[in-house]
Amino acid sequence: MTTSHDPQLLKGVLSMVLLHLLAERESYGYEVAQRLQAAGFADVLEGTVYPALTRLEREGRLATRLVPSPSGPARKYYRLTPAGRDALAGARQAWSRHVAGVEAVLARPLPPPEEKEDN
Amino acid sequence: MPDKLKMFDRIRIERLVWTLDQRLYDLPRASRIAKRREVRANLLEAAADQGVRQALRRIGSSSALAREYLGAEFGDRPRHSWVAAAYFAALVPLLLNFALTEAANAYAQGLTGGHAADGTHVWSGISYLQSPLTFTIDQGRVDHTGGAWTPIVYVLWAVGTVACGRLWRLVPPFSRGLRTPAAEY
Repeated sequence: MTTSHDPQLLKGVLSMVLLHLLAERESYGYEVAQRLQAAGFADVLEGTVYPALTRLEREGRLATRLVPSPSGPARKYYRLTPAGRDALAGARQAWSRHVAGVEAVLARPLPPPEEKEDN
Repeated sequence: MPDKLKMFDRIRIERLVWTLDQRLYDLPRASRIAKRREVRANLLEAAADQGVRQALRRIGSSSALAREYLGAEFGDRPRHSWVAAAYFAALVPLLLNFALTEAANAYAQGLTGGHAADGTHVWSGISYLQSPLTFTIDQGRVDHTGGAWTPIVYVLWAVGTVACGRLWRLVPPFSRGLRTPAAEY
């Protein structure tokens, strides 16, 4: 999927997506950005991802460790904390409720469009 | 591989890293250094992967990145700036002392140019900013004493420093600002 996403919608769900990716396996910043791109979020830039990881770390949802890299400076790996797992579970429930609510509204039939009157 | 980057590409990366570092001076030192190292490591890897131009484009400007990092660290509430306060506190004495010295020199030149008689002359100084200055003329040579800042200057200096750095936001009741509830998953 290469279509762009609504930035406002993305901002709301980016934390949840990041938590899920890091729940799958720990990663460093650039790798997280690459995994996001591979998941279809090509328009989520690194300049958004790195501060979002910092925010999650500050909130205690992520823990970090430095791992030496064979190809350059040490990489800072992020992994979920127990608080992060709780937050992810809560976010998934909230997201499911949100999607169900939106789907319910969108599933309602619309009246046929009125034909324009020619003057 | 990062070590295969050209020197010019390394310089472009370091330029972003260090301008970002300058913009993060409100963070604790350890946190600022950690971010600098992390951004550098990620940029080097991205540059080796996609090229420096693309890596820099995707990370954005240092000012936008710094804004995001500061928001991530301190929250989205209005915050103080130690850097702005330090600039004001350091620059105002320099500029004010320069202006007052120039004014005193101009007065002294006026005295010598007007061939004032030997003795002492008192100038009240710039109103509200300094104490009176006493000029002593001895065979055409002029010395002066006085001209210190008045208490009101010290008060304005302190108030200006607080205002410039928005330091009242350090006080908890003011630091909360107009925070809106987060609608974030």
